[in-house]
Amino acid sequence: METIWLYQFRLIVIGDSTVGKSCLIRRFTEGRFAQVSDPTVGVDFFSRLVEIEPGKRIKLQIWDTAGQERFRSITRAYYRNSVGGLLLFDITNRRSFQNVHNWLEEARSHVQPHSIVFLLVGHKCDLEAQRQVTQHEAEKLAGAYGMRYVETSARDAINVEKAFVDLTREIFELVRSGDIQIQDGWEGVKSGFVPNMVHSSEEVTKGSRQCFC
Amino acid sequence: MSIPSSSPERESSAGVQLECPSSPPGLDADPPSTGSPVLSPDSSSHDAVLSAPAASPADSENLSPDELELLAKLEEQNRLLEADSKSMRSMSGSRRNSGSSLVSSSSASSNLSHLEEDTWILWGRIVNEWEEWRRKKDKLLKELIRKGIPHHFRAIVWQLLGNATDMPVKNQYSELLKMSSPCEKLIRRDIARTYPEHEFFKGQDSLGQEVLFNVMKAYSLVDREVGYCQGSAFIVGLLLMQMPEEEAFCVFVRLMQEYRLRELFKPSMAELGLCIYQFEYLLQEQLPELNVHFRSQSFHTSMYASSWFLTLFLTFLPLPVATRIFDIFMYEGLEIIFRVGLAILQYNQTDLIQLDMEGMSQHFQKVIPHQFDSCPDKLILRAYQVKYNPKRMKNAYLHLLILFVQRLRTENRLLKQRIETLEKVREQLPGQVTRAQEAEENYVIKRELAVVRQQCNTANESLEKAQETIRELQQQTYTEQFVNNLQTQLEQSRLREAELLGALKEMQDKVLDLEKRSSCLPDENNMAALQEEVKQMKLRELETLQSFREMQDAVTDLNQRWQTCLSSRVGNIYSESPKKNAMNELQDKLMTVRLREAQAQAELREVKLKNQIHSKLIGRHEQERSALQDRLQMLANQNKALQAQLNEMKRKQAEWDCKSKEEVMAVRLREADSMAVMAELRQKIAELEIQKEEGLIKGQLNHSDSRQYITQLRDQIAELKNEVRRLGFSGAELCQESDEMRHDRSDCRHFDSNQICIRIGVTYICIGRD
Repeated sequence: METIWLYQFRLIVIGDSTVGKSCLIRRFTEGRFAQVSDPTVGVDFFSRLVEIEPGKRIKLQIWDTAGQERFRSITRAYYRNSVGGLLLFDITNRRSFQNVHNWLEEARSHVQPHSIVFLLVGHKCDLEAQRQVTQHEAEKLAGAYGMRYVETSARDAINVEKAFVDLTREIFELVRSGDIQIQDGWEGVKSGFVPNMVHSSEEVTKGSRQCFC
Repeated sequence: MSIPSSSPERESSAGVQLECPSSPPGLDADPPSTGSPVLSPDSSSHDAVLSAPAASPADSENLSPDELELLAKLEEQNRLLEADSKSMRSMSGSRRNSGSSLVSSSSASSNLSHLEEDTWILWGRIVNEWEEWRRKKDKLLKELIRKGIPHHFRAIVWQLLGNATDMPVKNQYSELLKMSSPCEKLIRRDIARTYPEHEFFKGQDSLGQEVLFNVMKAYSLVDREVGYCQGSAFIVGLLLMQMPEEEAFCVFVRLMQEYRLRELFKPSMAELGLCIYQFEYLLQEQLPELNVHFRSQSFHTSMYASSWFLTLFLTFLPLPVATRIFDIFMYEGLEIIFRVGLAILQYNQTDLIQLDMEGMSQHFQKVIPHQFDSCPDKLILRAYQVKYNPKRMKNAYLHLLILFVQRLRTENRLLKQRIETLEKVREQLPGQVTRAQEAEENYVIKRELAVVRQQCNTANESLEKAQETIRELQQQTYTEQFVNNLQTQLEQSRLREAELLGALKEMQDKVLDLEKRSSCLPDENNMAALQEEVKQMKLRELETLQSFREMQDAVTDLNQRWQTCLSSRVGNIYSESPKKNAMNELQDKLMTVRLREAQAQAELREVKLKNQIHSKLIGRHEQERSALQDRLQMLANQNKALQAQLNEMKRKQAEWDCKSKEEVMAVRLREADSMAVMAELRQKIAELEIQKEEGLIKGQLNHSDSRQYITQLRDQIAELKNEVRRLGFSGAELCQESDEMRHDRSDCRHFDSNQICIRIGVTYICIGRD
């Protein structure tokens, strides 16, 4: 079966419990919004293909994690093999915004020696009346951490595609420029086999495997 | 449920023909391939009650024949029911559907309903004679439970199984509801997400959500260590579908405490790691190819199995199937979870091996949950075909314990050694330790004091030097005044100069005026010219004098002649008067000329005098001016020199200031350093003391309490080590790199052959296998 994607990126979605991680992912991968769904116990897995430019398709493998703090011992194992992440908070829940810092620390301490490209996402932006976090301060925080900021709503399908596609583009640029490299044993970025397409790491290994016997 | 009174008669008539020892046909179908002769349950959960080892199911039991018959009928019923898929689906655990009977299928034949009744009767009896069944007929009970507890009996049977009928905590329940728990907010948010599709829990104000909230809150108050953990709500929800909240609460408390669930839900979740490890061990043993495939795809066990243990399949399988598993769980504990999990994997082995990680995740999410919808018995059957050796599982568990104990022992040994050395030191130097410490402290402090003093001295010296220089500078400040004076003098001289220049100019102007005036004279202001003119004037004067004299002579001559004439002619007065007149006129003219001459002379003399004066003045002024200019230059030079000196002095002063400041800062820094070092030393001493005391206490404790325990453990360990070798492990080791992020299984090679690395809490234990 011929692969039709250029790269495969593994993303992780983290954030406090009930901010809407599972909903956002389901909206993105299945196109539906469930008003209520089970709390994630452990980790869940989803995938989808995105086309960031005509002809350039990237496969996204998305890990949905449990938000409750005691599940961190399970979810920690997934940071290391992820190249990108969405850090979610709920704009109607100030506490979830304050915990963004903790999540970032958690991720950064468990992802060494690799690094994850994060996108800060303010979710449930359709609930404007109950907003507790302003866009401005969230943008400021994102800027301070060197991330972009997007406000999304899974219910009204606002910016859901944009969030994932923007992050994918950002990672794609970094891969193209060589800042992020494909490594053996690291699941964060994998290359799909596309004929006539050269990936720097593959070329090297291919060359070394040549045998003239 | 009332038990029909006709049962005793039926019992007696049922047939004495059945013989006890021979297994009735129905029981043959019962998993004979449960190859493992050891069916002892997980001893960690049920202690004394179920420890009886047994061979085949019905051997050593006093089963009444009719019971056996019933069992057989049940078997048949199950088979029939398997074929009839509709009825199975209706077996939902919904409390709301309590009106529906156990079998609501349309194809209910009279045989089935007959069997139904029999089952119910049987269970009624079981419930009534619970103690006896539990003690003596537990094998049959187990079989019956495996067949599934009838829906209406679940509430009471679960309570009986969990021994939750008479719990003191039940009385606290209403009190607990009044209190508020720190987990309330968290619970609230999750309640709406628990069984969201289910009738009983649908809707925000539904009764189901309310009671669920109550029980979770009550439990979080009773067990503060666990509090509230996501996932536990599903178990409570299931209980609430069968029984009221107080009872559900009691059963849940029992579940958490007696069935190892509490350990699973604790914040550290170490027990979950252990379960995962044990499951992996099973997987490796029984489905090695699948295990290899999982590893190659990096499909970790925790990805799929976490929710199995935390929610007992309630989120993974549909309620009917999960409820059946829960029935067995209530009786047999977590073992069934392992079995079912492995059965699921085995059933799907061929499918999974062909899929990559993504495909497998999809398979787990979409396909597997509904595989046993129509025939949960199949799953349970398969579960009991799994070779589960609890002893081995326990051994695995004990391996970890061994390693823990080893680690503790080494730590203990180290501490003991340390205590010994400290004690030795203490014995040898009874009071000198403290004295030595004090002396050391003193010495250190003194030394530092000396250092600081020296620094102070040097600082003082430099300060004095700086002050001296400051004084010198201050003394020399009079030069400033001098300079100031000079400056003022300079200014004044400049002013004077200006004034003089002004005066000079005035005089020059005056000179010009005078010159102009003097230029009005016929001759130019040239002294020589003037002198020449004077001479010429004098000459002319002389000439005129001469001419005057000549004229006078002439005049006298004339006069004489006149007189002579007169004398000669007295009558020629008329003619002589013109001459007289002429002479008078001439005399008058002479006089006027003389007067003019005299005036001119006077004026000349005046001008001469004035010129002389002025020239002298000019010369003097020029002299003065040159003198002043010289003085001016001199002063200017002096001024410059003095200013240069002043600047230098200022610079030097600034330098001295800086230097003195620097030195003061350096002194302060050194002081701070020395103080910090002192504090550190004191702290170290305090720490050492604490550690020593800790070690003492630990040593005492270990000495007194756990000697026996250690010997016991030692024996066990020796035993188990032998078993380890027998079982084919090459050994077990604690991995030094215990942190998850650095522990890469491919990198970690404690053993040459295959090994498993599993994380327990924060430690990694690597177990090698041949």
